[in-house]
Amino acid sequence: MSTATVPRQSLQTTPATDEQATDLLVDLVATPSVSGHEQRAVEVFAHHAAALGYRAEIDAAGNGLAWRRGSADDKLIVLLGHIDTVPGDIPVRLKNGILHGRGSVDAKGPLCAFLAAASRAELPEGVSLLVAAALGEEAESPGAHHLATQLRPDACFIGEPSGWDGVTLGYKGSVRMRATVTRDNGHSAAPGDSACDYLFGWWRRVEARMGELNEGRTGEFDRIAWSVRGISSENDGLHDVGELMAGYRLPTWIAPEELRVKLRQIDHEGVKLRFVGDERAWRSERNDAVARALTGAIRGEGGRPHPKVKTGTADMNVVGPVWGCPIAAYGPGDSMLDHAPNEHQKIDEYLRSIRVLTRAIESLAQEIR
Amino acid sequence: MTTTITAACTECDAPITFDRPPLNGQVVRCADCGAELEVTNTDPIRLELAPEVEEDWGE
Repeated sequence: MSTATVPRQSLQTTPATDEQATDLLVDLVATPSVSGHEQRAVEVFAHHAAALGYRAEIDAAGNGLAWRRGSADDKLIVLLGHIDTVPGDIPVRLKNGILHGRGSVDAKGPLCAFLAAASRAELPEGVSLLVAAALGEEAESPGAHHLATQLRPDACFIGEPSGWDGVTLGYKGSVRMRATVTRDNGHSAAPGDSACDYLFGWWRRVEARMGELNEGRTGEFDRIAWSVRGISSENDGLHDVGELMAGYRLPTWIAPEELRVKLRQIDHEGVKLRFVGDERAWRSERNDAVARALTGAIRGEGGRPHPKVKTGTADMNVVGPVWGCPIAAYGPGDSMLDHAPNEHQKIDEYLRSIRVLTRAIESLAQEIR
Repeated sequence: MTTTITAACTECDAPITFDRPPLNGQVVRCADCGAELEVTNTDPIRLELAPEVEEDWGE
């Protein structure tokens, strides 16, 4: 049940036409919104939402909100997209039914599909909708963290590209680590390890331990993955310093805090460890109500559903563990184009995803009412 | 009073029993052959072999 205290509003919106839905996407993609600089895009989102009849707001964190609200006691379905993008100036052009531009896939396509579909959905009494354009998903997810504390929805769609016939059930978790070794400087011909030698020796022990933890696990989603994200060294004549940055992608069976404990249990004398950006893996079951609604809706549009799990992270990692409600991610676009220089969205797929979402929202609303 | 609803497994023809009316998109496992089946229609009940969960990268 929702804990938000929003006054009673009209549930009615004007169903977005295909042309309006396309204009919305083009407008939003044409408005740059690199993480930390989303304000103008949030205003564009709110403008389109208000034009469709939503109650449009910008919350204390700066997220854009579009409400179809009946009563504060209603069941609440949240459609949580993100409005920020990674950097990269891709000229915006719509040609031959394909929209090129940064964010067209990740994730303004899914966000705009949410806004258009939620305006079309016919809702039973007792169900309200919120479309949220969250800030900073490509950074530390300040928008989703804020919403996680403000709402308690009954079901949630996460806006990320799954393809029009895909349903994303879960995402791996993530931990980033910085390891630093500082040694007294010595002649390079002298016996003894340099800071980097010492660091690599420790890293080999880490890799061996991660391999042990993965034993018997099959499938990339079910295994810990790790990679070195950067290495540097410096020497001021007195001290030899080596630094290694690594990232870990976590399955559901190990939480970030458990990984940190296991890493500290590995002999790391002389290695200073710092961790940032904990995100826990989250995965819904196949019979999750949102996943089922999407699956049925994809079949209703003539498709064969592709349930999937992803090795990246999304705002599902933030709100999933807090809300504990039915949740799945959906949106048009090929996630191979996430962050890519040729990012583009096919408009026919985008419009098809809106039809899928409209069906899914309506069937879910009937189920949870 | 509860009504038991049954359908046949598409892989081995064993009966699949539902304690509650099935829902579109619901996935059930055949107790005989282990196949995962998706409910693709509820009236009449139609089952299909459920698509396997794929692994993908990215967001």
